[in-house]
Amino acid sequence: MAETAMELTGLTKKIGSKKIIKELDFEIHKGEVFGFLGPNGAGKTTTIRMMVGLMGITGGDVRILGKSVKSDFKDAIREVGAIVENPEMYPFMTGMQNLKHFARMSPGVTKERISQVIKLVGLENAIKTKVGRYSLGMRQRLGIAQALLHNPSVLILDEPTNGLDPAGIREIRKYIRKLADEDNVAVIISSHLLSEIELMCDRIGVIKNGELIGIQSVHEQQTEEDPVREVRVEADPADSALRVLKAHHGIEAAGDEGFITFSAKKSLMPSIVASLVSADVLVYRVEVSSASLEDKFFDLIGENVIG
Amino acid sequence: MGKIFSLVWNEVSKIFIQKSTWIMYIFLALLVIAVAVITTTTDMSGKEYGADWKEELRAENEQLTEEMQEEEFLTEVNTQEIEMNQYHIDNDIKPVTYDAWQFVIDNAMLASVISLLTIIVAGGIVANEFRWGTVKQLLIRPIPRSMILLSKYIAVLIFALITLVLLLVLSWLTGALVFGVAGSNPELVVRNYEGIVSVSAIAEVASGYGFKLVNLFMMATFAFMISSIFRNSALAIGTAVFLMMAGTSIVQFFADREWSKYILFANTDLTVYDSQMGPVQEEMTMGFSIGVLAVYWIVFMVASWLFFTKRDVAGQ
Ligand SMILES: Nc1ncnc2c1ncn2[C@@H]1O[C@H](COP(=O)(O)OP(=O)(O)O)[C@@H](O)[C@H]1O
Ligand SMILES: [Mg+2]
Repeated sequence: MAETAMELTGLTKKIGSKKIIKELDFEIHKGEVFGFLGPNGAGKTTTIRMMVGLMGITGGDVRILGKSVKSDFKDAIREVGAIVENPEMYPFMTGMQNLKHFARMSPGVTKERISQVIKLVGLENAIKTKVGRYSLGMRQRLGIAQALLHNPSVLILDEPTNGLDPAGIREIRKYIRKLADEDNVAVIISSHLLSEIELMCDRIGVIKNGELIGIQSVHEQQTEEDPVREVRVEADPADSALRVLKAHHGIEAAGDEGFITFSAKKSLMPSIVASLVSADVLVYRVEVSSASLEDKFFDLIGENVIG
Repeated sequence: MGKIFSLVWNEVSKIFIQKSTWIMYIFLALLVIAVAVITTTTDMSGKEYGADWKEELRAENEQLTEEMQEEEFLTEVNTQEIEMNQYHIDNDIKPVTYDAWQFVIDNAMLASVISLLTIIVAGGIVANEFRWGTVKQLLIRPIPRSMILLSKYIAVLIFALITLVLLLVLSWLTGALVFGVAGSNPELVVRNYEGIVSVSAIAEVASGYGFKLVNLFMMATFAFMISSIFRNSALAIGTAVFLMMAGTSIVQFFADREWSKYILFANTDLTVYDSQMGPVQEEMTMGFSIGVLAVYWIVFMVASWLFFTKRDVAGQ
């Protein structure tokens, strides 16, 4: 398993009496691109604001390379570069003036490093132009350049694909993959549109109403031939069915009024049914969902993700 | 230490990269030129004296005495002028003609324009970062928020200082061009609460501008506080300018109340202790006023600090 770059433990935000973010737990590894997907208002920006110390943490903590944002802010934030919400820069200054401004705020950023990030995002020709004249795509690129100045271990981009055309999105994907693959940077990208980030992410975490619904590895989803299915069995007696599943297959099933439900690969179904029958459980019906877990998972959020 | 220097450098450069700052400076320059033009056209520049200036002054005094015998209402003005002339003769100080130095001294009234410009900068320096959205980028650095705030406050003070120097230089140069220069630091005869005294031009400039800086300093700090609390520059500039204008009236309105001596504006003009007018309440002293100013300043700074460092930076 790769090293952990960022770790959220029970991260919670309350504003007034309303819990906006509810006990988020997950970690992001070095060299990984982590998609943070959820409909508008799900709590992505709020979570990111807590990650970078713009908002106070109500409960839990965020650790960056093991350092707590809460108690060791300076050392934690040193390892982070971010764009929160929009790539906002000083409009009356040139791209270069903006980069120099932020370079002065972090220790050890050299002139060479500044030219390096400008080259990475391909802004050489526009760097002496005032940011007020930049297109959204250019501002997004300058924002990424600014976030990378101090060689952070963690790069956080809040909806970087918002408002970009497909070519712009492809370009962002190019830098992000390069950063993760070549420089071992952990990248977190939030989005409300799966289609815009699925191609650049290694894993995607889905958040809705401030709760983490699940985390899915993107590659598994694409390559797996025998995916895990939801299974529902009408069996009698249900409690011996539960026991059999646990004893013979190590499956934790849930029982509910003569029905038991659990997740299992489709290829395992014949042997599961056989062991139930040989244990004298009466099997009346077996339903295996046609959709894979991942499909259901995205169905669940799909309708709201557009908004 | 290097870090705070970089931060202040950032803040000062942001002030001077913005066009609005230069527009304010052009406005200031035009104002100085306008004052010079008005001064020449209304001929307040006075006349020049030759080698036998004592004789000229005596002749002038005789003429003034005659005038006052004929026209009763001139008595007061002419008596004052006669006294001044006599002081020059008695102390052997040749009257200098109106020149660059005196123009600079007269322009001390423009110090309130510097206050205005400083309030505009102080009111925007925190709030604008919120308006531009750049505050997020400022705060996600390995730098405590209090240090960011301090660098902004120092930048405001540096801006005030630069603007003051600019006004002095601009006034002196304009004065030199229009009225000439009477010397490197000519001796001037002025009337204050002690009577007629002679002072050096530079000392007169220093006291004329120096006392006005107290008000500038306090109102800039006030605007800075409002900017930090409400994150809104229009509100900060508006309230600070309003209070600056209304300050004296507020004090006058409550003058008969005992507590009026604790009003900020009852203490910002320290020249009252050096003039016949005196402070609002008789028992007030210079030390008292400085104490009151210090308390206000601390309150302004602590409030700015609390709101800037403790509050969440959420969407606007
Ligand atoms: N400062 C705030 N005060 C109260 N509620 C807020 C505040 N900021 C965000 N919210 C609420 O928190 C929820 C999450 O918002 P946000 O993090 O911006 O979502 P996302 O970035 O996923 O679109 C929303 O329902 C929003 O209304
Ligand atoms: Mg958002």
